[in-house]
Amino acid sequence: MSTYDVEGIKQSLLERVASSKSPREVLKATEFRELYGAISTLPPEERGAFGKQVNEVKIAVEAAIESRENELESADIVAIDVSAPWDINAKQPQLLPTENGTQHPLTKELENVVDIFTRMGFDAIESRQIDDDHHMFGALNFPEDHPARDGYDTFRTEEGFIPPAHTSTMQHRILKEGKAKLEAGGHIAAVSYGRVFRNEDVDATHEHTFYQCEGVFVSKDATLGDMLGTLRSFFETYYGQALRIKTQPAYFPFTEPGLEFAIEKPASIGGKPGEWLEMLGCGMIHPNVLVEAGIDPNKYRGFAWGGGIERLVMLKYGIEDLRHFESAKLAFLRKFAS
Amino acid sequence: MIISVNWLKKFTSINGTVDELATLIGARLVEIETVENIGEKYQGVIIAKVVECGPLENSDHLNVTKIDDGGVVADIERDENGLVQVVCGAPNVRAGLSVAWLPPRSVVPETFGDAEPFVLGAKPLRGVMSNGMLASAKELDLYDDHSGILEIDKDAAPGTLFAEVYELNDYLLDIENKSLTHRPDAFGVIGFAREVAGIQGLPFETPTWLQGLDAAVQNDGTATAPAVVIEDPSLSDRFQAVVLSGVDESAHSPIQLQTYLSRSGVRPISASVDISNYLMLLTGQPSHAYDYDKVKAIAGDDFTIRVRLAREGEKLVLLDGKEVSLDTADVVIAAGETAIGLAGIMGGQSTMVDGETKTVLYEAATFDLYRMRSSQMRHGIFSEAVTRFTKGIPAPLSNPVLVEAVSMLQHYTGAQATSDIVQDYPSTRQQIVVRVSEKKINDTLGTHFSADDIASLLGNVGFEVTFDELEASVTVPYWRQDIHIAEDLIEEVGRLAGFDTIALTVPRRDFVAVKPGDFDQLRSVVRRSLVRAGANEVLTYSFVHGDILKKAGQSPDNAYRITNSLSPDLQYYRQSLTPSLLTNVFQNIKAGYGSFALFEANKVHQKSDGATSESVPIERDSIALVVADAKKKGAAYYEAKRVLDYALGVLGISLDYQPLQDQQDAVYAPFEPKRSALVTDSKTGDVIGVVGEYKKSVQKAFKLPEFSAGFEINPRQLLKSIEAIGIQYRPLSRYPGTERDICFQVKQSVQYGEIVKSAEQFLNETGLIVTVSPLDIYQPEEGDTKNITIRVGLVSYEKTMTNEEVTAVIDGLITTVTERTEGKVI
Repeated sequence: MSTYDVEGIKQSLLERVASSKSPREVLKATEFRELYGAISTLPPEERGAFGKQVNEVKIAVEAAIESRENELESADIVAIDVSAPWDINAKQPQLLPTENGTQHPLTKELENVVDIFTRMGFDAIESRQIDDDHHMFGALNFPEDHPARDGYDTFRTEEGFIPPAHTSTMQHRILKEGKAKLEAGGHIAAVSYGRVFRNEDVDATHEHTFYQCEGVFVSKDATLGDMLGTLRSFFETYYGQALRIKTQPAYFPFTEPGLEFAIEKPASIGGKPGEWLEMLGCGMIHPNVLVEAGIDPNKYRGFAWGGGIERLVMLKYGIEDLRHFESAKLAFLRKFAS
Repeated sequence: MIISVNWLKKFTSINGTVDELATLIGARLVEIETVENIGEKYQGVIIAKVVECGPLENSDHLNVTKIDDGGVVADIERDENGLVQVVCGAPNVRAGLSVAWLPPRSVVPETFGDAEPFVLGAKPLRGVMSNGMLASAKELDLYDDHSGILEIDKDAAPGTLFAEVYELNDYLLDIENKSLTHRPDAFGVIGFAREVAGIQGLPFETPTWLQGLDAAVQNDGTATAPAVVIEDPSLSDRFQAVVLSGVDESAHSPIQLQTYLSRSGVRPISASVDISNYLMLLTGQPSHAYDYDKVKAIAGDDFTIRVRLAREGEKLVLLDGKEVSLDTADVVIAAGETAIGLAGIMGGQSTMVDGETKTVLYEAATFDLYRMRSSQMRHGIFSEAVTRFTKGIPAPLSNPVLVEAVSMLQHYTGAQATSDIVQDYPSTRQQIVVRVSEKKINDTLGTHFSADDIASLLGNVGFEVTFDELEASVTVPYWRQDIHIAEDLIEEVGRLAGFDTIALTVPRRDFVAVKPGDFDQLRSVVRRSLVRAGANEVLTYSFVHGDILKKAGQSPDNAYRITNSLSPDLQYYRQSLTPSLLTNVFQNIKAGYGSFALFEANKVHQKSDGATSESVPIERDSIALVVADAKKKGAAYYEAKRVLDYALGVLGISLDYQPLQDQQDAVYAPFEPKRSALVTDSKTGDVIGVVGEYKKSVQKAFKLPEFSAGFEINPRQLLKSIEAIGIQYRPLSRYPGTERDICFQVKQSVQYGEIVKSAEQFLNETGLIVTVSPLDIYQPEEGDTKNITIRVGLVSYEKTMTNEEVTAVIDGLITTVTERTEGKVI
């Protein structure tokens, strides 16, 4: 056995830390050098246990230093009268110049989009930022292990929750919520908007974090023609001009038929005839999705769509790099005068 | 996926130009990313015949040739027989050969489209004139073979254009195949052609060989085929194999076939490999050849091919020489007991076909797409074959492909089938019949198709449609396993006819006014107020590095952790917005912004908040702001507080500020208790949030300037506050008011709020219209007191107040305040 009173040394070091104005100095104490030096003098079979003890002392002392430093730091801090309008002997603080203030272009555009849809009769709800597999996939007719899930590159939490990869994660909720209204002779009309996530590397045209707006309409007699008309109507309002549209077949497990929807690039953002902009995915809601929400697909039909917000903003201002949006750089933000 | 238009044309006629075709395919089938005109690069390439060939003097490898180009190339030096002299270094050049000649002024196809394409000339080589060159497959941009010149294997008169001979006046469509994940049939040229016919309104005729679902192979029965056993029908719907003897593995496939492979991005190798790839490109059905003798040797007494799950600890060396440790979820092909291939993904080295192979066991099978997908991901192998298996290859397809493969192998390699096809075919899939009414189709699409229209649109692509009145019964072809319900057929009808032909309408419904939700409206107002207060709205990521949490004094244990993030920067859900804002202060100061405020309105998540009734984590809405000034001194706290008072004042909310004490929530963690306040609604007493300066350790960790402070509030709580405000308007008085300034001297420990609170309490009982506002807060350097001066405004509803009346009120106020604060008036 070693002859060192490790516990006693530890107590003495801790006391020194507690009373020191510069506690970090204690780490340089000769006791540490002696303790570490002693390890090699011990019989090999005792070294491990002793070394461990010494390390524990070091860890305890370091923790004590940290808390002592915080204590010292805090002791220097002068408390203020938090109920006062300004500091003693000072004047009323001024707000920053109003002309410096800017709203983020994405939240502004989202408000604009939501505003148009509410005027068209769609309720607006914000999308969740953490959700479960059922809402993200299961309730939307994505069988488990289906390759279509791959396209979404979802993040997962330890608990198996998902940062939603599309605002469709709200669709099942919207349908369930609207069921009673539908069955009372009304219809379901709602948009969900918000932040979504995909596990992608970031570059000028890819982001793992972005914004979407999703829409849902269900009634007794909704048609695909209605969907295309509604979407064109939205974009015509948004761009303030008549627009041509085109579609392309697409596959989404939660729609049948599923389409990609494009508009001819509006003149207001420098478009020429024949230039097309893919705007969103859309389709008639798959009967399985209606059934999952307790809605009888033999009585009711619906359509849904979802598209990104960044694209609208980038086209509007000519923004070249997707990474600017979440950069929090004033050089970027102050370009968007309110 | 790349599709050759000329290849398509072998199976369907195409109306209109390639651009029109591409537009039509885009609108009715799948997005086309690019259309490449490959014919352009072969414009100058001529078929020529080598008439004379002899070695060039003083060269060990060059030959001088005289070629016959049929006299088609103008302005060129010819001999008395009209032949053109070309020097050639290829080892296989010889008289009698038909070759591809690149005459002077033509561009080497391999360099076509380069910044500096290589243009040929007529120039002497070692003193001997050479006109242009004789081309290799590589120079012709066909495939990577530069070992010699291309030997034309078709009868073509000298002078014919090379492109014409090999159908190279072609366009390649680059297909965005992600949107075809549910369409294994479209992963073959024939299936794609069927769709191209359908969207043009043309009936499609399936090639006869592909219709032979039950065809057998002629064979002499001299070989013993193994037994085939699929151990579990969920692994594979069907496994077929046949024995072929006398395969010449060195035989080459015809150049025509090779060019179609290379147009599709597949490298030609040998006839037997090319045939397998060719049929896969045509139909989507992969196939695989094993060395029969090796399989037999491995199988030993138990000559059985088994499709089974891999065993615990089982290993396999693949064709590429890599050894993989198999997972018990992997599907393997076994000879007897021994695994010889990773099913659908890659064969094994132990049964590899090589130059010595004389007899092959040729397989065509299908495997469970989900198992293929997980094995592919697990082993990171992405081949053309497994890409197709993960789409779900239909079981009936293997037989006609196997029979056609045997026929082609016989033709091009001299092999002979020496056994019947052996198979295990446990699939229980029934033929799918879907019923749909004409009305349902039209009601869903908003169209007016007749029963005949519908029957013809679907019939063109292989559906069998019979109408009983207006109710259709549709038999789904085996290659469309994706069609199960009426809606699937509705899509097919709309798509084949063109969604773009549907008239646009808007839903019929009552006029209903909808307004944005209360919370959305409130958040907009706060946003605009903060903007008016000169702040800049930011959006920052919802996920942060664990170090950011620690720097802010928050525990990562209380944050939802992302397990598969690409970067440690995105490992945890944030618990509050403040740390994200603090992360961005320094970069802006460094960029030259001396004074600014950043704010964000977003959601945050803490594990300790628990779950909703849907068992998903509770989300919090939050609004946070940070003010920073690189140069200013003094208490930044008051600047943040001023912004908060202003922004919420716009909503009519008034706030109380109390010292922060032992608040445990992670939101408070970055704030220094001695210089921060708990913010409450002065009406309801509800906690709204926190405002303050940051702990020294936080300032240091985030490199904040000394003058920095901020707040973080719960905007949902504001909704309740607004409800509680009610209507604040009080009628105006007809009488003038008066103001008095009062200076209280109190102990330093007395809070400004106590003075104002007690003054207001007193005044509110007078029935007057009252205002109390701060004028000055002075604390001399010596002593332990401070002076707080307030201005009191009084207005009566009943009369103009006299001096005495005012003094009475003020005296009362002074008594109340001084008693409460143990101060005095000076």
